[in-house]
Amino acid sequence: MAPIEKADLLQGTLDLLILKIVALGPVHGYGISQRIRQISDEVLQVQQGSLYPALHRLEKRGWLEADWGESDNGRQAKFYRLSAKGRKQLAAEEDTWNRLSRAVELILATAR
Amino acid sequence: MIVWRHSNRKPVPQNPVDQEIAFHIAELTENLIAEGLSPGEAHRRAVLEFGGHEQVKQQVREVHISAFVDGLLFNLKAAGRFLRRSPLFSIVVILTLAVGIGANSAVFSAIDGIVLRPLPYPNSNHLVAIYQQDYKSRDANHFVAPVRLEDWNRMNSTFQAISGYYFDDLSETSGSLPEKVTECLVAPRFFEVMGVSPALGREFAPNEEHWGGPRAVLISYRYWQRRFHGDSLALGEKVHVGGFTSTIVGVMPESFQFPNAGVDMWTTSSPDAPFAQRRDATWFTVIGRMKPGVTPHEATADLLTVQTQLGKQFLKPDAELTVQTQALKDVIVGDSRGSLWLLYGSVSLLLLIACSNIAALLLARTTEREHEISIRFSLGATRIGIIGQLLTEVFALALLGSLAGLLLAGTAARGFHLLEKTLPRAEEISLNWQIVAYTLAAAVLTTLLCGLFPALRGTRRTLAQSLAAGSRTQISARGRVQWVLVFMQITLAVTLLIGAGLLLRSFRQLSRVYPGFDPSHVLTFQISGSWGETSDMPKVTQRIDRSLDAIRAMPGVERVATSAMLPGVPALYQIEFKIDGKVDPGHPILADSRYVSAGYFETTRIPILVGEPCRQASKTSDVLVNRAFAEKYMSDASPIGHQLSGATYNDFLPSGMIRGITGNAREEGLNTQPVPTVYSCFSAPTPFPNYLVRAQGDPMAMAETIRRRIHEIDPSRSVYSFAPLQDHLDDASSENRLRTMLLAIFAATAVSLACIGLYGTLSYLGRLRQREVGVRLALGAMRNQIVARFVLQGLRVAVIGCAAGLGLGLWLSRFISSMLYGVSALDPATYGGVICLILLVAACASLMPALRAARVEPVEVLREE
Repeated sequence: MAPIEKADLLQGTLDLLILKIVALGPVHGYGISQRIRQISDEVLQVQQGSLYPALHRLEKRGWLEADWGESDNGRQAKFYRLSAKGRKQLAAEEDTWNRLSRAVELILATAR
Repeated sequence: MIVWRHSNRKPVPQNPVDQEIAFHIAELTENLIAEGLSPGEAHRRAVLEFGGHEQVKQQVREVHISAFVDGLLFNLKAAGRFLRRSPLFSIVVILTLAVGIGANSAVFSAIDGIVLRPLPYPNSNHLVAIYQQDYKSRDANHFVAPVRLEDWNRMNSTFQAISGYYFDDLSETSGSLPEKVTECLVAPRFFEVMGVSPALGREFAPNEEHWGGPRAVLISYRYWQRRFHGDSLALGEKVHVGGFTSTIVGVMPESFQFPNAGVDMWTTSSPDAPFAQRRDATWFTVIGRMKPGVTPHEATADLLTVQTQLGKQFLKPDAELTVQTQALKDVIVGDSRGSLWLLYGSVSLLLLIACSNIAALLLARTTEREHEISIRFSLGATRIGIIGQLLTEVFALALLGSLAGLLLAGTAARGFHLLEKTLPRAEEISLNWQIVAYTLAAAVLTTLLCGLFPALRGTRRTLAQSLAAGSRTQISARGRVQWVLVFMQITLAVTLLIGAGLLLRSFRQLSRVYPGFDPSHVLTFQISGSWGETSDMPKVTQRIDRSLDAIRAMPGVERVATSAMLPGVPALYQIEFKIDGKVDPGHPILADSRYVSAGYFETTRIPILVGEPCRQASKTSDVLVNRAFAEKYMSDASPIGHQLSGATYNDFLPSGMIRGITGNAREEGLNTQPVPTVYSCFSAPTPFPNYLVRAQGDPMAMAETIRRRIHEIDPSRSVYSFAPLQDHLDDASSENRLRTMLLAIFAATAVSLACIGLYGTLSYLGRLRQREVGVRLALGAMRNQIVARFVLQGLRVAVIGCAAGLGLGLWLSRFISSMLYGVSALDPATYGGVICLILLVAACASLMPALRAARVEPVEVLREE
């Protein structure tokens, strides 16, 4: 399957994906981009030009918290964690997404 | 799987975004190497895949900035819309602030230029003026002999150098007509003390500072422009000044105007000249540059030690002298400091009034915008957000107002330059970036002062309350705040008005005073001369008497005389006298010493009470005393015929016989009571005395004929400074006049602002209470009762404001008491007048809105309900 580029990603989806990945445990920017790629079977590829601004935006909104730590390779890296506020936001966004995708599926199934 | 190892101790790196990106690329590279690429290739691919490093960084940065900027831009845009929607309101506020902030910035620019900024010389805080003073007599003669100056300079340990200067008003005779030039004669080291070098050419060479050495001059920038049109060929040119030819060796920079802006050239005064060796000579005004780290106190103590040593060496006169120092800046700035701070205080009060006025306007507006604000709340805006929005609106107004105010201040700064005679350092006042910063700071402060309270109040109620509350319950509460603002305005206006009233009364008192002499129809001027001529005093006297004779013979001239100092122009030359050679140590005879020629009392119309006036060609030296002297020191016998002489060492006045008693005249300044005065009859006290001519017609019409007549009899001299005596008197009081005028303008503005505030508040309350008034009228209230209620409400606040303003005025009046003449700082007439005026004005300002409020038609109002 051809990878889906950023432009095709639904507005706000990237935030949801980031929150979800970070919810699994503290992770750095590179890790997030790798995971999105791996988990989506290489379908979703996040441009770094979108990823980092998004991370900083989410951190500014208080959904993510960040700390400097050491990566597996012993380098200094900025690790992102989900805040309590972020956890609530993730739940809300997941809910919205589920309803949306169910609705879309329903329409597609009915129209078939 | 990534394992996160927390480490608290690691410091956050310098640029976190850079490091974050670097980490990403490093990880990517490693991954690619694991996939089998060469390290170099892997790195290249990683960088490529990551995309524009700088671009990402920029985008991350934007995330952080844009939140703030977006908010500000949004608020500003909204503010712009709001202002456009209510242009009248905006214009009123902007103009009020323009005047308030502009006046404030203008006065601050004067304070900055005159008081705050250091003098325009390097390390000018090390510069001091040094005076000598007679121990016993408090002799006003501060001028120092050249030999003593050299002693001070040699023996002290706290000064880098000490120097001095004096002036000659001379003629430069290269051109077809002699031109008057002011020459400043300086002791060695003058430019070292000032720390300034010529802009062009060089300073004096050592041989030029010695007696008999080549004559050299440094010319001022103004003279260079006037005479040589700024041509560098001026260096090496000759000038013919006072009968000597000197070479121009340098041009001083434009900014160097010491001792004053009128100096055309500086030349040397040699300490080794044979005539400069007397220890009782009185020549130099002394200045010194203290060594770095030396305090003025230490410097004074050091000089006192030096003077004590000199006193042992030269019993007379050095043992009788003490030394004082004063910061050079204080000497130059002088009394203007007090006036400036007074004006600054006044404009600041004015700005406060303007702010409270605008705050009242804004309060009224926020009430009208209640609906808009509650909608914003219901749409999820935070209180902070709305306050920010409201403040941004005020800030936009304040910014526009302060920009307009800056224009005003700029104009004022140029205007200050015209006040050269009134304000010291006036030409140094300019609109620099500090003034701009000050003005912007004023805008921010104004925003907070005007806007914060209305914004806090307007957004205080929660959404639910706002929707539930009817307007009736809030009227009284909101009204109270408005009244507090009106009260403040009236208080401050009363305070300002009291200050202005006191100054005005004092000014009127002063102009009503008869000075004891008659300045009308008197023309004054000077004829150039040099102190060097004083080595042959009979010749100087002869020259001056000859010119007096020539002028007296001219048609249209009633009387003519010379005097060392002009009558009524503040100057006091107080020395100690002996009567018949006797000194009473407990009771020194101190008197103002004035030198006048024959004809002086006739010219100035100072009456001779007893005896006779100065006579021309008298073989004896005569003196006259005024009534104050006779009453204070010689009340028991007639003074006529007694011998009077200077009690101190340095008076070149020989003893003289008292020939007459004159009426008291305010010779030392129109605002000073006449002091005991001794007039010595002597036509040539200086080589360039003031000539006083009583003309039959317009004095200035005589000027040209006098100039020509003097040129006929003495072609090498220039005649200058033609002015009616009245002009000199006006100049002497110009600071007083300016201060009084400005304060009066400020007070008038303050009163009108307070009126507008009162009027606006009552109108606003009248609108709010339409319904209530309607109901009252419907229930049978009389219209005049309604009017009375409103007017009384206005007057009540005015009375409370007057009381507070009176208190504040009483407390503040001590600061201007020293500026008052003939009026007590607690003058009941002024205070009473101010109260009456304010109450009258307040009644008028209340009446109109009260009448309008009572004009309500009950039927219409009740129908609206």
